[in-house]
Amino acid sequence: MAVDPFGLLRDLAETPERLARTLIGQPRIRLAVTGLTRAGKTVFLTALVANLLAAGRGRRTLPLLEQAAGGRLRSVRLVPSATEALPRFDVEAHLAALAADPPAWPGRTDDLSTLELQLELERSGSLGGLLGGLLGRRTVTLELLDYPGEWLLDLPMLDQDYAAWSAEALRRLRRAEASAAARAFLDWVEALPSGAPADESLARRGHGLFRDALRECRDRLGFRFLQPGRVLNPGPRGETPVLWFFPLLQPGGRGLAGLMAERHAAYIGAQRAEFFEPFFRRFDRQVVLVDVLGALHAGQAAFEDTAEALSAIAGALRHGGSWFDWLTGAGIARIAFAATKADHVPARQRDALSALLGHLVAGPQGRASEAGVPTTVHALASLRCTQDDVAVLDGRPVAAVRGLLLENGRSAKVYPGEIPLRPPEPGFWEHGFFEMPEFQPPRLDAAGGSGVPHIGLDALLAALIGDLL
Amino acid sequence: MSDAPKGPRVILEEPAPRLDFQWEQAVVPVAAPAPRARWSGIGRAAAGAAVLGLGLAVLDAVNFVVDQFGRGPVQGWATLGVVAIGFGLVAGGGWRELRSLGALRAVDRARAAFARQDLEVARAEALRWAAGVAEAASLQPALRQAGSTEELRALLEGGPLRLLDAEAAGLGRVAAVQAFSITAISPSPGLDALVFAWRGVRLVRQVAALHGLRPGFAGTLALVRRTLLDAATVAATDVAVDAAARALLSNKLLEQFAGEAAAGAVAARRMLRLARVAAEACRIVPPRA
Repeated sequence: MAVDPFGLLRDLAETPERLARTLIGQPRIRLAVTGLTRAGKTVFLTALVANLLAAGRGRRTLPLLEQAAGGRLRSVRLVPSATEALPRFDVEAHLAALAADPPAWPGRTDDLSTLELQLELERSGSLGGLLGGLLGRRTVTLELLDYPGEWLLDLPMLDQDYAAWSAEALRRLRRAEASAAARAFLDWVEALPSGAPADESLARRGHGLFRDALRECRDRLGFRFLQPGRVLNPGPRGETPVLWFFPLLQPGGRGLAGLMAERHAAYIGAQRAEFFEPFFRRFDRQVVLVDVLGALHAGQAAFEDTAEALSAIAGALRHGGSWFDWLTGAGIARIAFAATKADHVPARQRDALSALLGHLVAGPQGRASEAGVPTTVHALASLRCTQDDVAVLDGRPVAAVRGLLLENGRSAKVYPGEIPLRPPEPGFWEHGFFEMPEFQPPRLDAAGGSGVPHIGLDALLAALIGDLL
Repeated sequence: MSDAPKGPRVILEEPAPRLDFQWEQAVVPVAAPAPRARWSGIGRAAAGAAVLGLGLAVLDAVNFVVDQFGRGPVQGWATLGVVAIGFGLVAGGGWRELRSLGALRAVDRARAAFARQDLEVARAEALRWAAGVAEAASLQPALRQAGSTEELRALLEGGPLRLLDAEAAGLGRVAAVQAFSITAISPSPGLDALVFAWRGVRLVRQVAALHGLRPGFAGTLALVRRTLLDAATVAATDVAVDAAARALLSNKLLEQFAGEAAAGAVAARRMLRLARVAAEACRIVPPRA
């Protein structure tokens, strides 16, 4: 993101509070859960909250995190609402929907919601015991945010003017796989005269075609790097005129191009003020969720598109490392990359899934490492829905997973194919597009008193926040 | 696996019940095996003495009643009546002690239910408690409607427990004034300690009665033990505060002025804190995290 002098001043002003909180053992940590659309952010947050609350009640839901905490975790509670203007992340409703009969996965997130968790821990050591008598137990407050994944893709837009964005957006739409889906828009925009007037009907028409092209790319081709995010997911207010812009071949000048540039600038300003500055300007820990399997099954173009999107997002975030970041305590202290839906592959292929993710995020990981930020890569199923099984294919037994299909309740064995350890060779893509079926969640306690079954959530949290406990 | 089928496949089967990983059972905390309760030597000796004392007394009494009937029916019936009344009172006292211990166990059950967010048990315990405490009686309909342990807690803490805390603080102030006065006029430090202990125990019993516990001797012992344990958790703070007070009073002139009044003030402050800690120990909801 571009350097905002007022933001830097705010960072400086917050520094004494952060230092004081850290000194007395009451740190407040903003955990950024970043992920492209349908990566599983909402389910991840639901599982994280449910399992941490259960761990606070003594349930062994997150053994590796408890181990990292040295058995000192005493309680976990939801911080009561104060005067927040944002909706509260509704863990109870999500859990109830997952546990219901028939169950339902959380729908597409279309607005921001927040939640704070407070972890209470015994102080360690004899000095800690004495301090505990004086200052009470340590508390670590985790700030969590859920948001539409589509909006995250606007992050790289913040540093681009309309002309640069237009060129990039058209380049991506003209790629072989996308061009068919975007043909109607591309034909229309290429036929547009260079001095087209700022006419409302032209602007609405162009926006409609552009929006349809983006939707087609997202829903049919599995593409993720689609901008602007609010065109695909406008949020609770619905479509507003500021969204009615699209890329042009000749983005300079007055008339329609001028109107588009104006709306583009207004959109960037609104996204910066309403979404990125308040929530993404500074955070302390980051988890990056990636549906590697979905991208792999959606084909080579979708896979490469996902890698490009991740790289663009990572390039736009502050990792810290500069002298000013050091001075203000800003920047990310740890990053965990997670390949979600790891329960869709049998146990013996999960290492391959995380290895593949490692290759996919090699760029962002390298940039973070250069800034001195420790990173880890995980295979994760926030809510485990399958169990390992063996399927017989072409007369040979292969490792598979078995679960209940969401649509009809039938049991199904799924062989997800061989997961390559690194970005696959061209021959790999011959099997074509495959849509992984949606599985039913397992039987759950609607109250979430014992958390939810998962794979690898404890390892991820231990790597991400274990040092704070 | 290089010759494994390349593409993903889905093999459909028949409808089946939802997967169940038995997660609730899998995450139940594994408690360390409880050490087998063994009686200490003193415990065995005391139990033996009690059995001998009570058993022989019963046998003696029975023999005596039989002997008295040998002397005549009037003597026999009169002796039987005396023995029955005597042993009846002893049994009644024992039953009352057991009940007071049972009331303390109920507090523990309620606290555990709140801690594990077991709504049904917490609500039942809260209703049972509210039925026996005048300040909480009017709250019963709202307690029945509560949809979560947090709601129950908010109802209890916002209403009766706040009133009871205020009443306990009032009892603590009365005890503090008495402790201050006694320390000021007491002729010896030994007597100070004795009076302070007696007043402290009485204060704990008064606070317990506010919370509907009405402890007997054994119940009072258990309650004092629990109160002292709770008090120990704030001991480190107390040490620091006392050290700071001593540092302030180390000036010779101030020492002269402070003198006995300072000792009395410390005793009074301890009594106030005892009231607060006793109230904490008697509450049916655990302290906030």
